[in-house]
Amino acid sequence: MVEKQLTRERASSWSWILQAFTGIMLVVLLGLHMVVQHFVVTGGLRNYQQVVQYISNPFLFLLEIAFLIMVTWHALLGVRAIILDLGLNPATERKVTAFLSIVGVVVVAYGIWLSATIVAQGA
Amino acid sequence: MASDVQPKPVKRKPIEWFNLKGKRVGFWAYVGMRLSAIGLVLYLFLHLAVLSQLAVGPTAWDNFVALAKSPIFLLLDVILIIGILVHGLNGIRLSLIGFGIGVPSHKLMLWLAVILTIVFSILSALAIFSETH
Repeated sequence: MVEKQLTRERASSWSWILQAFTGIMLVVLLGLHMVVQHFVVTGGLRNYQQVVQYISNPFLFLLEIAFLIMVTWHALLGVRAIILDLGLNPATERKVTAFLSIVGVVVVAYGIWLSATIVAQGA
Repeated sequence: MASDVQPKPVKRKPIEWFNLKGKRVGFWAYVGMRLSAIGLVLYLFLHLAVLSQLAVGPTAWDNFVALAKSPIFLLLDVILIIGILVHGLNGIRLSLIGFGIGVPSHKLMLWLAVILTIVFSILSALAIFSETH
């Protein structure tokens, strides 16, 4: 029982540190995303040609994927924290974590596929 | 003073977020954090779904861009930015406190976050609604 308690507290501080780390990364990456996608664009939103031109730059491509990974990770850690606060048993908690991990991988894969598709359409 | 800060997270079911009776101001920050979090997660998935129009083709995306410049969408943009500011500024505050930085000033930082949220929300709203199409 004591051991289980310790394990759970370690797990919760581990997820807290990740949440803080991804959060701080997001302050920078979301800031950049807002500036390059909206603030510097006439009309506030890129049209198709402007999107193709933007995402075809390899550095900006990687920047947007890094942003996607951080925002997805941060969002799903947050969803996990809210669900775990419901007071589930450890087996269910593990299932929640596994499910949200799969969701995260699928979301990031989708983002990479979408970005690559747009680059290919413009080529 | 330092005893005002909870050393570790307390488990609360969502219904308890709305029980504000006898709660300190830090609890309001906690509720604001959770509600903005849910809004931002919903927005994230909606945003990713809408971006699929880029794979459909130029017409599909440019039609969405035209729709996104309608006043109702611009209002939703302002609400989104308020959500980001509430969550981001309080998130910075929570990270600092969590790493033991500025713990005695946690309440001052909360009010600073509130003021910055209001100021940047107004500036963002002005920028969004004054943008020429």
